Amino acid sequence: MGEIKALQLFHGPNHPGMHGNFSVHIKVDGDIVVEAEANPGMLHRGFEKLMERRNWMQNIALILRVCVVEPDINEAAYSMAVETIEGMDVPERAQWIRVMILEMARIANHLMSLGGIGGPTGLYTGPNWALVDRDLILDIFEKITGARVYHMYIVPGGVRQDVTDEILKDLEKVLDDIEKRLPEYRELILEHPIIQKRTKNIAVLTRDQALSWGVTGIALRATGVDYDVRKYDPYLVYDKVEFDVPTVDFSDAYNRLWLKYQEIYQSIRIIRQVIEKMPSGKVREKLPGNALKWRVKKGDAYVKLESARGEFGYYMVSDGGTKPYRVFVRGASYPQGLLGIEKGLPGTRLEDVAIWLDTMGVCAPEIDR
Amino acid sequence: MDKPKANLFSSIKSLKYLFKKPVTIEIPKVYREAADRYRGFHTNDWDKCIGCGTCSEICPTNAIRMEKVPGYEAGNGQTDERPVIDYGRCCWCGFCVDICTTGSLKMSKDYIFISPDANDFIYIPDEEGINKNYPEEGYRRNDETDLLELERVIMGHLSAEERGDSFIEYVRGYSKEEAIREASRCVECGICTYTCPAHMNIPEYIRTIWEDDLEKGVEYLYKTNPLPGVCGRVCTHKCESVCSLGHRGEPIAIRWLKRYIVDNTPDDEYEKVVLAEVSKPGKGKVAIIGAGPAGLSAAYYLRTLGYEVDVFEQMPLAGGVMRYGIPRYRLPDEALDRDISFIEKIGVRIHTNYKVDKEKFKELKEKYDAVFLSTGFFTGRKLPPHILPGSDHTDVIAAMDFLPKVRDFVRGMGEMPEVGEKVVIIGGGNVGFDVGRSVVRLQRMKYGKVDVTITALESEDILPADREELEEGREEGLKVVFSRGPKEIVIEDGKIKGLLTVKCLRVFDDEGKFNPQFDEEDKLFLEADQIFMAVGQAPDYNYIPDDIMEKLEIVRGKIKADEYGRTNFEWLFVGGDIKEGPDIIHGIANGHNAAKAIDEYLRKKYGIE
Amino acid sequence: MKEQELIDLIEKHVKYEEGSIEVYAPRKLKFILKKDDLVDTLLFLKRNGFVQLSFITCVDWIKDNKFELVYGLVSWEHKLTVLVKTFIDRDNPKMISIMDIWPTAKYYEQEINEFFGVYFEGNPNMSKELILENWDSMPPLRKDFDPQSYSNEKFEIRIYDYKMEDKKKK
Repeated sequence: MGEIKALQLFHGPNHPGMHGNFSVHIKVDGDIVVEAEANPGMLHRGFEKLMERRNWMQNIALILRVCVVEPDINEAAYSMAVETIEGMDVPERAQWIRVMILEMARIANHLMSLGGIGGPTGLYTGPNWALVDRDLILDIFEKITGARVYHMYIVPGGVRQDVTDEILKDLEKVLDDIEKRLPEYRELILEHPIIQKRTKNIAVLTRDQALSWGVTGIALRATGVDYDVRKYDPYLVYDKVEFDVPTVDFSDAYNRLWLKYQEIYQSIRIIRQVIEKMPSGKVREKLPGNALKWRVKKGDAYVKLESARGEFGYYMVSDGGTKPYRVFVRGASYPQGLLGIEKGLPGTRLEDVAIWLDTMGVCAPEIDR
Repeated sequence: MDKPKANLFSSIKSLKYLFKKPVTIEIPKVYREAADRYRGFHTNDWDKCIGCGTCSEICPTNAIRMEKVPGYEAGNGQTDERPVIDYGRCCWCGFCVDICTTGSLKMSKDYIFISPDANDFIYIPDEEGINKNYPEEGYRRNDETDLLELERVIMGHLSAEERGDSFIEYVRGYSKEEAIREASRCVECGICTYTCPAHMNIPEYIRTIWEDDLEKGVEYLYKTNPLPGVCGRVCTHKCESVCSLGHRGEPIAIRWLKRYIVDNTPDDEYEKVVLAEVSKPGKGKVAIIGAGPAGLSAAYYLRTLGYEVDVFEQMPLAGGVMRYGIPRYRLPDEALDRDISFIEKIGVRIHTNYKVDKEKFKELKEKYDAVFLSTGFFTGRKLPPHILPGSDHTDVIAAMDFLPKVRDFVRGMGEMPEVGEKVVIIGGGNVGFDVGRSVVRLQRMKYGKVDVTITALESEDILPADREELEEGREEGLKVVFSRGPKEIVIEDGKIKGLLTVKCLRVFDDEGKFNPQFDEEDKLFLEADQIFMAVGQAPDYNYIPDDIMEKLEIVRGKIKADEYGRTNFEWLFVGGDIKEGPDIIHGIANGHNAAKAIDEYLRKKYGIE
Repeated sequence: MKEQELIDLIEKHVKYEEGSIEVYAPRKLKFILKKDDLVDTLLFLKRNGFVQLSFITCVDWIKDNKFELVYGLVSWEHKLTVLVKTFIDRDNPKMISIMDIWPTAKYYEQEINEFFGVYFEGNPNMSKELILENWDSMPPLRKDFDPQSYSNEKFEIRIYDYKMEDKKKK
């Protein structure tokens, strides 16, 4: 037997199992990771600084870039923070539309990460399918907002423009289509023996770990804690719609996928209720004056929402001027993406690192900002 | 939901898709139509675009720059710049479309553009579109997406009942909240500044209201206008007619905002600004004849340049048309007094009740280094009897003979002028309405009822008077008859019976010249026992010595001078109505310009750098 | 637990010299206190249900020459969110690390150290690079850091090669 050497590896940013420009420096002993350190910063664009230099409306075109797959959550958190500080009332219909948009974004995000497991496991049918079905949602986004990925739709005071009944009908059809397709995902991915083999008992997160790292979202719910901001601190009209928060008792990669799969059903359920219950009326309130002169009262607020990856929040400070004084983005992947990698990856096999990162929901731009 | 169990066969089912039609499409063989609201490449309607630059202000990525277009002549209310978009920076948010003041900038459904040259992605939007295919419109602005506030903050007025029988000022003025809100509508494009005859720093002073820094606002006002309290009330506000907000909504209430600054800055702060150090000590004395807007403006700026200034005014009070022409309900004496008091405080000497005649003119010429004439159009004009029979009757009164009497009466310096029970006024300009609305008030006081009719040559859409004059006059009980030309004043037994009018078919000919045409058959008789004529004012040059008058060129009643009021005599300058025609803000601009010219002349004369 | 009950609890059990508590939105509270009382209060809150540390961040109040540190805590049990805030001096800013109470604080503190220059005593990652690489200027989220002039200095300004005449053929 030869001498065993520890090797240092760069996992990412160029790696099929890596989502986004993010890398992890790992030390392996044979196949086992002995030390891991996150190396963020490749996507750092200084959003928080940039926001201090743009006025309240202009920021809408900027902040959504904090997360590509689910940009709407940024628009919503930003707008809600402004509304909380200013004490603005948001028209009822706009709140329902926001819920609809956020749940559509959740479906798109979950589809992508459900299919995305094909990356680290080698099942490439998954991502292809998922992208096609995600595109159906993007088509609806295009019809509602005029853009497919970066919608710039939720703005302080409401949403930018109303949704027509015609678009809602199209959306209902898309929901039906996706619902019909979901069993096929179950067959292709969740029942697939290789996926089961490659994800069960892999990338395990214990409840104590989750608590001490501050992990939220699906990774936490898979440990049996039913913390979901939508239930614990209902925002918008989440207290007026019925939905369940699926949980399981053992947080491994497979169960986390399984929860995402179940959440898609819940989101469809929510959107259907929105379409049914949404009242008519105005969809936007504006601050006085033109958008170049909007001023928000002095004050600060922390607003949080449930993103597809967990608690997502904006801490915002206004000094009464035309621009935010300070904005802090609490990305949902921050805890697992930094401390989680440092503490959780050691002990994992090298080939499971990508699965760990993928199913824990590490989204690089949320860390870099 | 049941937890999935491992099953190799279930995933094999997906093989069925092998034989199905693919869901993807082959581009460019198949063109995918974008959604109706798609935010694609921009288009810009050059006929509508005014180059205000608001799109480039809102652009979050600095993708839009305003650049001067070579060879493009900008008309009034425009700049010669147009937006240039860098598609390397554009993020397709559409805020530029939402905030476009004219609605010229749009987004299309076009979304494919390919070029190997990065410079091709710099694009000046026009109607053709980047692919030169006149693309279909995509994303549209509507009330919800609009980023401008189109509605003006309503100005409080006294009701017609409250104001109809007195001469108190009826426009209340903005409160602080209202003014800030109105100021926050401004996009600071600066197009108003070009149009304002005095080129006032309009966006800048509006911004000071929004920032609640009125002292700075006063500073901006006095840079170009020493009579802001007057202009804040009665300026013809040409700025508002070109305001970029006016294209899709109501223009900013620039005049009322100016008044807000003047009325809401405490006297001591006001003084601090106005009485600030004289910029440089000048050497020389200047005489100014006529204490109207132009004379006072010239006096103020000459004094700030350090010259000794004497203003000579024939009337008992300074102010000219502001004091004797405009009715008190629009411009109260207090506002005028305040403006004039600051002009006096910096050391301008105003000599009232001093009528300059030919002799005194010569004296002034000897005693002073330069003379500035701003004697105005102070004589009322009447249509002569050969044009309008009966116009020589004593109850036919010219506006400028009547309005000063009303003002003297209101300030307790004269008797109530004679007003009839049935009055007709000829002339649909602002002066006609001043007379009409003054008569309304006097009739209420005297008879307790109103019967006043204004006849205008023009139809309602081209009425020269301000819109609000028409609306407010009607509220007070004025009747207005449009498209009527006076034919004859009918007199019976030495008393006026009324005015016979004929239909006016058009006022201007095809070249835009004043050349009214009438339909003599279409007659209308208006009963009246008194008739006023508001058909213009005339100058009086009798005080100018003959030898000087000979060498001055008079064009249509006005003295010919260059932009700076320079005449054929190097020491003689003119401004105001006698140079430009009746308008206060032009007078103020003339005064300011003449001050610059006089400064230049005197520095040359005394060899001061 | 209702917002008011938490306020009562804090006022009863936490000793602090000066401070204020405010409910700024339903289920959300703000709590400003002195630097020295901060760690005790955080410990107290953790023992009373606030098991999750959502974030730590910093605000630069350059005019007052202060940094404001903001700790966001969440209690699942009480369904409440609390912001605990304190002001520290902007010159030589120092704070005690709370890594031992919430391990996740490690990276939040490192980030604040990198972007504001606040030193957290007890955190091993101080002065280690996290997001920024080879950074050679002042901590960039400080208000006196001007990104525009930094970028003008470090990067070439792109000059486009086009003429308006060619672009506009009318």
